Amino acid sequence: MSSGKRWRPLFRLPRFGHRAISRELEHQLDDELAFHIRMREERLAKLGLSPQEARADALARFGDHERIRAECLTIDRQYAREMTMMDWVESLAADLRFALRTLRRAPAFTVITALTLALGVGATTAIFTLVHGILLRPLPYPHAEQLVRVIQSYPEKGLDLWPLSRQNAAAYKKDVTDFSHFGAYYPEGVTLTGDGAPERLMAVHVTGDFFETLGVPATLGRTVRDSEVTKASAPVAVLGYGFWQSHFGGNASVVGKTIDLDGTPTQIIGVMPQGFSFWRPDIPLFLPFAADPTKRYGWFLGGVGRLKPGVTVTHAEHQATGSMWNWARTNKDLLWGSKPIAPETTHMRAIVTPLQTTITGDVRRPLLVLQAAVALLLLIAIANVATLVSSRAAARTPEIAVRTALGASTRRVARQLITESLVVAAVGGIIGLVLAAAAVRSFALWSNNALPRIREVGVDWQVLAFALGISIASGVLFGLAPVFRMARGRRLADDLAGTQKASARTTTRRLNNTMIVTQIALSLVLLVSAGLLIKSFRRLVQTDLGFEPRGVLTATVPFPMKKYMNRDAAGPATASIVERVRRLPGVREAAATTRVPFTGVNTDGFIVEGRQPPPNAGAETQVVQSAVTPGYFSVLQQPLRYGRDFTTSDRDSSLAVVIVDDAFASRFWKGQDAIGKRMHFTGDMTWRTIVGVTSSVRDQDAAEEGLPHAYTPFAQEPNLEPVLAIATNGEVAPVLAEVRRAVSELEPGAPLANVRVLSDGVSQALANRRMTEILLTAFALLALLLAVVGIYGVMILYVTSRLREFGIRIAIGAEPSRVVRLVLREGLVLGVAGVGLGVAGALIATRWLESLLYRVSPTDPLVFAGLAIALLAVAVASCYRPARRAAAADPALALRVD
Amino acid sequence: MADAEIDLLRSSLDLLILKALSWSPMHGYAISEWIDDATRSVLLVEEGTLYPALHRLERRGWIAAEWGVSENNRKAKFYSMTPAGRARLRAESRVWQRNADAIAGVLRRSSSDAS
Repeated sequence: MSSGKRWRPLFRLPRFGHRAISRELEHQLDDELAFHIRMREERLAKLGLSPQEARADALARFGDHERIRAECLTIDRQYAREMTMMDWVESLAADLRFALRTLRRAPAFTVITALTLALGVGATTAIFTLVHGILLRPLPYPHAEQLVRVIQSYPEKGLDLWPLSRQNAAAYKKDVTDFSHFGAYYPEGVTLTGDGAPERLMAVHVTGDFFETLGVPATLGRTVRDSEVTKASAPVAVLGYGFWQSHFGGNASVVGKTIDLDGTPTQIIGVMPQGFSFWRPDIPLFLPFAADPTKRYGWFLGGVGRLKPGVTVTHAEHQATGSMWNWARTNKDLLWGSKPIAPETTHMRAIVTPLQTTITGDVRRPLLVLQAAVALLLLIAIANVATLVSSRAAARTPEIAVRTALGASTRRVARQLITESLVVAAVGGIIGLVLAAAAVRSFALWSNNALPRIREVGVDWQVLAFALGISIASGVLFGLAPVFRMARGRRLADDLAGTQKASARTTTRRLNNTMIVTQIALSLVLLVSAGLLIKSFRRLVQTDLGFEPRGVLTATVPFPMKKYMNRDAAGPATASIVERVRRLPGVREAAATTRVPFTGVNTDGFIVEGRQPPPNAGAETQVVQSAVTPGYFSVLQQPLRYGRDFTTSDRDSSLAVVIVDDAFASRFWKGQDAIGKRMHFTGDMTWRTIVGVTSSVRDQDAAEEGLPHAYTPFAQEPNLEPVLAIATNGEVAPVLAEVRRAVSELEPGAPLANVRVLSDGVSQALANRRMTEILLTAFALLALLLAVVGIYGVMILYVTSRLREFGIRIAIGAEPSRVVRLVLREGLVLGVAGVGLGVAGALIATRWLESLLYRVSPTDPLVFAGLAIALLAVAVASCYRPARRAAAADPALALRVD
Repeated sequence: MADAEIDLLRSSLDLLILKALSWSPMHGYAISEWIDDATRSVLLVEEGTLYPALHRLERRGWIAAEWGVSENNRKAKFYSMTPAGRARLRAESRVWQRNADAIAGVLRRSSSDAS
């Protein structure tokens, strides 16, 4: 029986209107009709008609031949079609029944194969669900691909991401003709007062054209148009859907009502639809504001633009940068003081990026790494299953031989084998899909919404198609292994007897060995990647932040703006709240600040007295500025290097003072005393005297040193949104209740907002890294498990197939320990090959990880060597039991005749 | 021919074919002769119309077709009754009989009224 040549597709779908079939049908019909006419002719001839008359009469009695023929043909074609379809379904059903029966007879094989595959498919689908839901699915705006985020950058000033001023925003709107719409926004909390206790709400303040840019209409009422929003117009609000539901019970009559926000009556004009989000879901309030383009100061706006159709992001960015340079030229004094330079000689530019990549930016790389990791895991699973399937096929050679000998075509048998694989793949795929759905759900809960768009992520038809696709693909992939075996010419007698030619056995072994080496190599790539991330994460967690976040409670006290029209009154008010809180039970120390570590930074330029500003931009570098009350450093346990802390006597009326950190001091006065030196921020011209130097802290990103810090006394720079920082003696919850009570007594109009434990904020900042580390480790361990199962299975097969040989060896006097060594050596060879290949693969793969690593080289020798040796040990160890079995080979086996 | 007549013809033709085949398998020509004899040439005006009917019945699974050799040694397509066809014949004859009786009864009464 030869294969090849007439190798037709295994699962050819029934082909409708197939030409050959159609011609055959016509033939038969013509024969049938001709027969009738012939018979009638003969009959008439017998009655005495001449042949011509008989012919004519027969035709006449037959009727309209063409019409009848056509009618019959239509029926026949339909019939043929139905038959083919039925045949196909029937044979498929038969294949399936047979497959199920065969698989039921081998439950261990079926379960292991299906579960292995389920792991591979499940992990891959779970990650694909995340990748698809977060990275690939378009944002929920019409033509979301046209939306871009606009921000600026001036690296020479340390402004990597520089928000827009009102002037910038107006300029982009006017100058950048690539935008059909351009809006700006900034998030800032507002206090809602009314019937109940005052409440602090997150609000996005938007310019008039913001909604038009996004292109999402209100679900109730309306949004605003650009022309309506002027300085003179009455304040209006657009509600988020969630807020509308929670505060107004989804009542449609809310439009037109007035609510008090920061003491200002604000009219509700509309409600946004469910699922509308901007950066984050469930924003309660959108508050249109008129951005006064004459305001030169204040860079706090984000820009969002809609590109005109056909316009590229690069082109728009080019235009925007041009607009920015124009702005810089007319604002030389602001940027460079007395020494202006040409903006085109700097790296100052506008940054225009697709909104989607901006929103998903931080998680893009980790997710893609994880996607690659699960792809490797899936490959390992497939390799494993292929090994299992082909080993089983080897064991089934006699059965298959019998079936072919009994007349089954190669094609038929091959089809049967593939059907079996597909059934297993389908079962594995379904289990995998269930696993994936469960994993994604628990993952969304566990990640606590740290990922963007995670709440929108779910299993949809595209994910289903993906899972189905990879299951079928893998089913076909490993199902082909035995088919290739079968396609090889071989002697029927051998097959029937189950004794293979040595060459055939070698082929099987070579295939299995390749699979094992591949598996070991792929597992090593995963293990090394996970190892690097773990090491890097450990380093990151152990990094000394320079302060102690544990047990520190932070909460914003938003003073009602109306009451504190005079900002200076906020100083004493804050001081008295701090005093009160400090005396509460369970509080070790309390202070107020304008900035919580690991939240956004408020940077400012500065000038040091008697120093030439850096030559490059003719200006200052940047510093993270915050105003703090006395005791702040003690709350954070941030040691004061020298000098003094602020005291209550640092008042508005006293000398303007500042405390800087080590990084700042050592930049300008390395090895000298910084006390008594003076500096001022670019925002105001007050000279401040340095009275103390603290240690540096990492409070922007644990992985980076970040900018230097300068602290001013809160009393000299009061703020209407002080953040209480409270060091507790352990239990946070009871203290929080006390603080709430104390603040509501002292400041009834100020609801505590943004309450959190500082250490939570720190771990939240690490959440993405942690997620990547944990998932990758899980995948690597799964891969290791699969590889061990694979090695074990193949070695057992190897030993079993050579049991007779081992028996002979032992019979002629070989020590069992020698046989053990023989098998272990076999495992070692495979292991070394796999590890070698794996190291090479990992060297290539881990370069990709570089941006995720912290103080760990992507070729960290310790990680590479350690894991390579460990994997090798595991590989050899999993050969131990097979080796014992070989050593226990019964010499009598050698003598037995089949 | 009016549509109603065609429908009637078609269903009665189907019934007649089944009846013919209930005796023994036959080829198309033989069936047409049988119907001719049995109905005194009333029904089968055009012999050709038999064939679409035969093919339709085959597709329905009521009769089966097979190539064989005719009495005068020609290749011919023989039709035979399937069990499904036999059941069909039984059911259809009953319905036909009932309808025919009813209609005949009505016609009888009206003609007596008229006279």
